[in-house]
Amino acid sequence: MYTKLTSIWTYHPSIRSFIHSYYYIYASEDIEGKETTAILNEYQVVGRKLPSEQEPVPKLFRMRLFAPNDVVAKSRFWYFLKKLRKVKKAAGEIVSVNQIHEKRPEQIKNYGIWLRYDSRSGTHNMYKEYREMSRCAAVVACYQDMAARHRARFASVQIIRVAEISNADVRRPYIKQLLTPKLAFPLPHRVIRSQKGNRALFSAKRPSTYY
Amino acid sequence: MSGSFQRQVEVGRVVLINYGADAGKLAVIVDILDHSRALIDGPTTGVKRQAHAYRRMTLTPLVVKDLPRGAGATAVKKYLEKNETIAAWNKTAWAQKLANRVQRKNLSDFDRFKLMKLKSQRRAIVGPATAALKKQQA
Amino acid sequence: MVNAPRNSFIAPGVRRYSRSAVYAKKGLNKHPKPAAKAADKQTPAEKTVELKGGQKRTVPTSKASRFYPAEDVPQPKKSRKTAKAGAIRASITPGTVLILLAGRYRGKRVVCVKTLESGLLLVSGPYKINGVPLRRVNQAYVIATSTKVDLSGAQIDEKFNDSYFAKKTVSNKKGSEEEFFEGEQKKKVYPESKATDQKNIDKAILAAVANVPQLRQYLASSFSLKKGQFPHQLKF
Repeated sequence: MYTKLTSIWTYHPSIRSFIHSYYYIYASEDIEGKETTAILNEYQVVGRKLPSEQEPVPKLFRMRLFAPNDVVAKSRFWYFLKKLRKVKKAAGEIVSVNQIHEKRPEQIKNYGIWLRYDSRSGTHNMYKEYREMSRCAAVVACYQDMAARHRARFASVQIIRVAEISNADVRRPYIKQLLTPKLAFPLPHRVIRSQKGNRALFSAKRPSTYY
Repeated sequence: MSGSFQRQVEVGRVVLINYGADAGKLAVIVDILDHSRALIDGPTTGVKRQAHAYRRMTLTPLVVKDLPRGAGATAVKKYLEKNETIAAWNKTAWAQKLANRVQRKNLSDFDRFKLMKLKSQRRAIVGPATAALKKQQA
Repeated sequence: MVNAPRNSFIAPGVRRYSRSAVYAKKGLNKHPKPAAKAADKQTPAEKTVELKGGQKRTVPTSKASRFYPAEDVPQPKKSRKTAKAGAIRASITPGTVLILLAGRYRGKRVVCVKTLESGLLLVSGPYKINGVPLRRVNQAYVIATSTKVDLSGAQIDEKFNDSYFAKKTVSNKKGSEEEFFEGEQKKKVYPESKATDQKNIDKAILAAVANVPQLRQYLASSFSLKKGQFPHQLKF
């Protein structure tokens, strides 16, 4: 593993272009702690064009991606880079892949997600909000939500940006209503079920739904 | 408290987990995630801090008073100890029923035999006495 | 199908017919096993014969059979495995109260006296409490309970081993002339020595049982599953 300060081009989806900046690059050996339990993980993938005589030091490109594992993450990296720049996998290389872990996974946060999706009639941009414990969980919820509300599958959804949002900046009422200071609500109408071992198979009485 | 609903989802509400690996353990709602899930923590009861669905827990009548929203594990522990919440829970008829159930389940063969003998002793006293009372009444 | 065995395999290791079913099919009871042949007399394998021309030549004493099977007859492989006594469950120690699951005394709660070399358990009722004599049982037919009788003070004689329980061979006279003329046989008497052995061993057990209230009644009662009880969910 080595680290080195390098000039790098990072894709900023809000302006649809890469911005030149300096970053520490970690070699790709340190894909540590592969989390297979999560549905999606966040990865930082850095890649570039292969060095040639015309271009001995090619530009580095960095992306933060959501993927089930590092293999898919690299694939998604080439998928996006191909669309944005004249770089493809056959003539390029991956410099590093790192998993990005949630900084505070035990805290509830509001997330805003900017995305672009292909419906049956066209392409749309969208902004949605989620209340989750991690960026990855928010993205998973987003994909579920897109599939449920718009029948848009993974292939037709592109996550542009995921950002933590302060309570004051929340726009959507369905998240806003959860931010009231002394939030309390009852759980009306539900069956209290005991654990399976302690439960009789048949019951003579209908369950009470009062809670 | 609103209307006829006695128990509410709120920060500080003590819940009994009834599904999964932590089934049967007590935890506290630390923050509310949404309409179906809350962030719960049980630093004294062995429940890890996690998002948990309401359908996999039961709300108890107990509330940890003045627990701040999103309190950390140490703060939760402090509040639990200050309010003696676990002790209060153990005193409830509900907790005692659960404890009895565990005790019954863990009886050995010899214990079951002794229990059977005690029960028959009780029957020998109660049965004739109630029969006599019934006769008196008739 | 040449040489196809009658008893084929349904699945690897599982035969179509049981051992006793094959026994019945073959009618082995009608043809008792031939007694082992007496060892053949030592005859020289070859002899010398004088031919017409005066030449001599060695030939085998017995001519080889002209018939030989066209196909190989499979010879069963001789197994060199010997049965070893299995390890006794950790839950079974001398003094453990056991529930017998099979045999004459099924359902009885008995005390484990010691484990024998053959892997069997030496068990006693005690006889006075529940009528189970000193007896060997296989640990597979036993539930070990968590109740223990304190046998630390008891001295168990070395003579209670597997050979103590070995059956005396009785000459097979059934159906023979002798039996017929001998008339009605006397009822076998339980040997006096065994009765005293039983008493000696039970003495220590009974003393230990008396120290624990209700243990005597517990051993006297027999085990059965009640309504709503499932053996896999019970703690013993």
